[in-house]
Amino acid sequence: MALMTEIAPGAPAPDPTAAGAELSDRLRQRIERVAELLPAQGPITAFAFVNTLQALENLPFDEGLKRGSFLYKCQPYLSEDRYRQELARGRIRQEDLVEVLINDLRNDADSLVGRLGTRFHLRLAMLEHPLRLAPAAELRWVIAETDALMRFRPEARPKIRAELLRETRRWLLEEYLCGEPLHFSGARAVVEQLLNRFGRPDRTEWSAARWEEFCLNLLWEVCRQGVHGAPPAPEHHNAWPRPRDVLLELTGEDPDLRVHEVLIRFCAVYLDQGQADWPLATNSRRLWEAFQQYYSQTRALTPRWMRPLAEELRQLAAAGMEPLDVIADVLREFGVASAQQDEFLAVTLLALRGWAGMIWQMETRPDRVPFPVEPGTLIEFLAIRLLLDRLAAKSIAAHRLGDRGPLRDLKSRHAGKLTPHHGHNLEQRAFLVFQLAQVRGWHPDFLLELSKSEWRELVREIDAFSGIERRRIYHHAYELSYQSAALDAIQVRTQHPPLAPANPKFQAVFCLDAREESFRRHLEDVEPLAETFGNAGFFNVPMQYRGANDAHYSTLCPIVVRPQHWVVEDVAFTEEEHHRRRALIRRTFGSATRSFQVGTRSFASGAVLSAGVGVLASIPMVMSVLFPRLTSRLQSSARRWMAPPLATRLRLQRVTETPGPNNGGIGLTLAEMVAMGERALRDTGMTRRFARLVFILGHGSECLNNPHKSAYDCGACSGNPGGPNARALASILNNVPVRAQLASNGIEIPGETVFIGGLHNTCSDTIEYFDLDLLPFSHIEDFRHAKDKLEQACARNAHERCRRFHSAPAQLTVGEAVRIVQQRAEDLAETRPEYGNCTNALCVVGRRGRTRGLYLDRRSFLMSYDPEQDDEEFTILGRILGAVVPVCSGINLQYTLSHIDSPGWGCGTKLPHNVTSLLGVMDGAASDLRPGLPWQGVDIHEPMRLTFVIESVPEAVRKIMSRSVSVRQIIKNAWVHLALMDPATGALSVYRNDEFVPYQPRTSSLPQVGSWESWYSGCREHLGFALNAAVTSTETP
Amino acid sequence: MTADVWMTGLGMLAALAPVGLFVLVGGTALLGRQLQERTLSRAALWTNSIGLTAALCVLGLMLISGSRNVPIEFGNIVEIRDLHFHFHLKFVFDRLSVPFVIMTYLLCGTIGAFASRYLHRESGFGRFFLCYAVFLLGMIVSTLAGTIETLFAGWELVGLSSALLVAFFHDRPAPVRNGLRVWTVYRFADAAFLMAAIALHHVTGEGDFAGMMGHGSWPVGTAALTTLQIWWVGPLLLIAAAGKSALIPFSGWLPRAMEGPTPSSAVFYGALSVHLGAFLLLRVSPILDASFGLSFLVTLLGLATAAFAALTSRVQTDIKSTLAFASLSQVGVIVAEIGCGFRYLALVHIVGHACLRTLQLLRAPSMLRDHAALENALGSRVTQHQGWWDVLLPEPWKERLYRLALERGFLDVALDEYVAQPILSVFRCCDRWERAWTDFLAGDRMLESDRVPVAPEVVEELQ
Repeated sequence: MALMTEIAPGAPAPDPTAAGAELSDRLRQRIERVAELLPAQGPITAFAFVNTLQALENLPFDEGLKRGSFLYKCQPYLSEDRYRQELARGRIRQEDLVEVLINDLRNDADSLVGRLGTRFHLRLAMLEHPLRLAPAAELRWVIAETDALMRFRPEARPKIRAELLRETRRWLLEEYLCGEPLHFSGARAVVEQLLNRFGRPDRTEWSAARWEEFCLNLLWEVCRQGVHGAPPAPEHHNAWPRPRDVLLELTGEDPDLRVHEVLIRFCAVYLDQGQADWPLATNSRRLWEAFQQYYSQTRALTPRWMRPLAEELRQLAAAGMEPLDVIADVLREFGVASAQQDEFLAVTLLALRGWAGMIWQMETRPDRVPFPVEPGTLIEFLAIRLLLDRLAAKSIAAHRLGDRGPLRDLKSRHAGKLTPHHGHNLEQRAFLVFQLAQVRGWHPDFLLELSKSEWRELVREIDAFSGIERRRIYHHAYELSYQSAALDAIQVRTQHPPLAPANPKFQAVFCLDAREESFRRHLEDVEPLAETFGNAGFFNVPMQYRGANDAHYSTLCPIVVRPQHWVVEDVAFTEEEHHRRRALIRRTFGSATRSFQVGTRSFASGAVLSAGVGVLASIPMVMSVLFPRLTSRLQSSARRWMAPPLATRLRLQRVTETPGPNNGGIGLTLAEMVAMGERALRDTGMTRRFARLVFILGHGSECLNNPHKSAYDCGACSGNPGGPNARALASILNNVPVRAQLASNGIEIPGETVFIGGLHNTCSDTIEYFDLDLLPFSHIEDFRHAKDKLEQACARNAHERCRRFHSAPAQLTVGEAVRIVQQRAEDLAETRPEYGNCTNALCVVGRRGRTRGLYLDRRSFLMSYDPEQDDEEFTILGRILGAVVPVCSGINLQYTLSHIDSPGWGCGTKLPHNVTSLLGVMDGAASDLRPGLPWQGVDIHEPMRLTFVIESVPEAVRKIMSRSVSVRQIIKNAWVHLALMDPATGALSVYRNDEFVPYQPRTSSLPQVGSWESWYSGCREHLGFALNAAVTSTETP
Repeated sequence: MTADVWMTGLGMLAALAPVGLFVLVGGTALLGRQLQERTLSRAALWTNSIGLTAALCVLGLMLISGSRNVPIEFGNIVEIRDLHFHFHLKFVFDRLSVPFVIMTYLLCGTIGAFASRYLHRESGFGRFFLCYAVFLLGMIVSTLAGTIETLFAGWELVGLSSALLVAFFHDRPAPVRNGLRVWTVYRFADAAFLMAAIALHHVTGEGDFAGMMGHGSWPVGTAALTTLQIWWVGPLLLIAAAGKSALIPFSGWLPRAMEGPTPSSAVFYGALSVHLGAFLLLRVSPILDASFGLSFLVTLLGLATAAFAALTSRVQTDIKSTLAFASLSQVGVIVAEIGCGFRYLALVHIVGHACLRTLQLLRAPSMLRDHAALENALGSRVTQHQGWWDVLLPEPWKERLYRLALERGFLDVALDEYVAQPILSVFRCCDRWERAWTDFLAGDRMLESDRVPVAPEVVEELQ
């Protein structure tokens, strides 16, 4: 309470008693804890690649996933069918499935399940053959109307079928009819009934089909008898946590529909960052007060369920109730016990998680939006939500159930009508055993002999290996199959010497992004004397940056960092006048566009504009849809006469002591520049062998019609293009005083070395270079040569990328590929301009020479790190992993989960997306805000955890894990896989159950290819690993 | 003479080109064959190109020959003399239908090309193009219709395909719910239209517009109806038009229709089907001419809708609703123009508005990019645009207006509470009586479906 009044001094506060204050303080902490579960996605213009389940990283992966899937109501793994398809086409190897299962069972693999074989075999049978299960009514239909009791399942092997038939026949004719006693008391009646149905007298003349039918019927009846009396599966501890869940179950009407309609509309106008022409005007900026002001007047046309709201709000205001009091009040009224409050609050907040998460982000990270909200807004949101929840629940209970009693007892009053979802009914269980019997060859008489306790054990065993568990095992096998292929390939590669040119012609530093893997591979191919490095794409220059053409600063560093430096781009002094004129033209044109846009939406000017010039809109429309490239060219040439001048400089040198966004505070001090430059060089191990030219290439993506554009940009730059960072680092390293300082710190940069910053456009595969006017005359030839090679690499990269685009022809020339990727960037109708980091699966931290010449299929993050230059405390590796492990695993899990359940974890298909409040997208007309990645960005992804391969020793990783909590959690709880490559020998070891065990390779050879094109050409699927012939040809260095 | 033959041939081509597309897409779907994306998009492009060329040729021939009214007769498709029932299929090329047909082909062709890339690898690709073919057919049939029953047939196809496209993503509940809502409003409007059509048949003995409106070519014409008849038919037609064009009080469905893929929202609700109501009013404009009262009513409805939608558009925070209401405000203005008798203006306005709004809706996903570019050009945050009422209106009024706009004029609530609820109550009451009666007769609970739990059974629960 005390805090609340601090936040809003104007609000009337009731006299707080000490106990009350403590209670509401506890409640606040509870809510804030639960809020961590909300999607950590801020405004969509700065896409944050964080683990969707970041809040659950303190749990082991599978448990966290299970918990998350329960809370978010999303699928934890792919469907069983999908895995089974992968098994059938060889993507999951049978050996891996077996290995995973054995590892999972550990010592229990050989324990016997009654007389039905080992647990391992039972589980393997359940994995290998699809176990069909249906709702009770459908299952009855399947039994009655399909051939389930007439023909064996197609998966049953012929040998087992024959044996089942033979055994059944033998038993019936030789034992049963000869009067041998039966184990089951009730079984005789069943068999008799069946015999009568099938025609007892002519049993010896039954056809094969008739025997099959008899056998299956008998089996089915035996299974039904057998499972009878097995104890039901334990019920979930708290099904239907919210009154809403009870009502939905009972009436089929969802109270949330009503509540969300109001909440979405109000949140959208309240949080709006300037999209509506007419913003919400209220007396207070607090959500709670705005809501009160807005809804506390009774109106004639209010939906019936909401009518008491106005009166309620007035009473709350009169009583001086604050949001926390309201929440406590509703919790009491809903009868939520203290122990269940966490879960109740979690599911309540997660019911509209997009909006709630956005509020929480705007509250905790006010630096990320132009118009943030005040602290405590999430609590206010929750209070409003619970008020509406209560009204909707009361109304539906009253009108649909005729129940006007207190909501706290709603569940108990209707307990009889609530059927628990958990556990299968008798027929469902019997059907599972029935299917297993057919593939495992359990004949009816054998099953008849089982005792009650054996049956119970069998049922328990089957229940224990539920669908989710089977999918978990499958998922692990799916990961293992890729992982072992990757480790095999890397192991083979280490048997060949590292490839690093002794006197590189030029060097290039890239972002560690998986998209740059292919680019670097091609560059190394077209220029064997080039050397490439990978670093986080902000190149250790965290800054707030404003370009010459920009209105605002944008944050160019990882989302977790709040940069303390400001850098602007200035137009060269000689161009000042020119720049001013251009800016004026832009401004004039901008305001004209704005007036036109607003005009077309209004009454009178809209009429004049649409009737007068509306027809002309058909020209750009038809042009941009049918001829996107031509349109884009025309546009860019039209834009040329208002573009800012090319001659610009970064203002990097700061004059005042304290940094700030205005004049004197802009830039960095010499010491800061040296620190940043040194770290960038040391992290990548670039401390010697400098070439004459060193390129530093950031990356970004320029594409149209795509609210998720920022997800294609550099994740290390908060979803912005990383060009300015590359340019800043190049300028820093070219700076003479900085070099002098660096030399005294032990990094000698030769005078002839020149750094050039650039921006790689990953969508159209083009490179823009910065500050070329400063290039010394002596280096122009070198630059021409390097630029030519870089352009060739761009074209080849485009060619390789095109194999993934299903709309591009399977066979095409490099020139066509360049045209295709450029057209995709300019096409208004293109929903997949590029694939971003999709398909990522691997992250290599180590010297490039070790993996150079290995085909990694654009699936690997590549971070440069030289273990020989690290100290004994592994400081360098420590700071690399401190950033790379959370960032790369965040990217990977974001893609993985968005693929596993696209509408759930991701944001579903892009097609109906609707940009809202300049903050995010909704599905269609109105929905929750949709964080996560769209299906069009993840459809070719293989959902797997990232496998880290780090060139280091176990001791180093252990030390780092003990120093950093986040690295420890992620690695120890297996949110990533980890393997180490010994810096000296190249031997691999894998991290399993907190131990490093030597890796046993399964193969010692890899396909060798003359050119990358011959390897990937014509293939649209994921590709395996291959070695470039260049690696093997340089056997003797 | 040859010119006439050419004209008829080209006219038939323009009118029937969509039939080919419909047969191709629908036929293969019926046979269970899945057409390739490329085949579908090519078929759509060809259909539109052929239709557009034919329509342009007809226009050229009409200009050369000076003929302003080219009927194409198919005669009575169905005729039951005893019951005085006949279905007369007839197309007319005149000053009204030709621009509409050209616009329809142009927009649908562009959208077809757009959608074939936008929906690439979407599981509903074929389904989308099926709805698209039905829509195109419906649009062409209704714009070229020469009799009221032909117009009704096209009108129904447009309604059906629109509702299905709203519910395109049928695995989520919201699109289905909103599709159903659109469908309900459409059915209401259709019922009014059907009644009007029957009334017209009853009065004039035929549904031919030429017969009803005199033989002058559009917009010249005199209604062959008495004032009383006009007041019987006119309001029904107005309800039909209001439902289709989302005029007050039906406006609530238009923003809800933005559930489908962006291109379908763009062309169907932003540009074509939303103008169909206005088209109907244009087609029967001689009736409006004959009655000042009816014209006044139309104007009033148009102006009220325009004002309401322009206001509502300003408070919307999502781009598609903003554009939906912006679109509606212009439709309102167009209807008002029709009421005032400015036929050509309304026609020009429709064509211009359709093109403009389609472009804006296609660019809707680029909104964030455009906004950033605008801010960079201006060098500052975009300030909220001040309208004249911001200056003139006193505060309490502004607040009230804002609320009205945010709640979308309470139109949906009003329809739900005062139209849908009473009807539902009546039917539920009847249902109760019937159950009580059958239970009484059977001595048992009769309806087995009552015992099935409402929530679907979950086979595998997430734990």
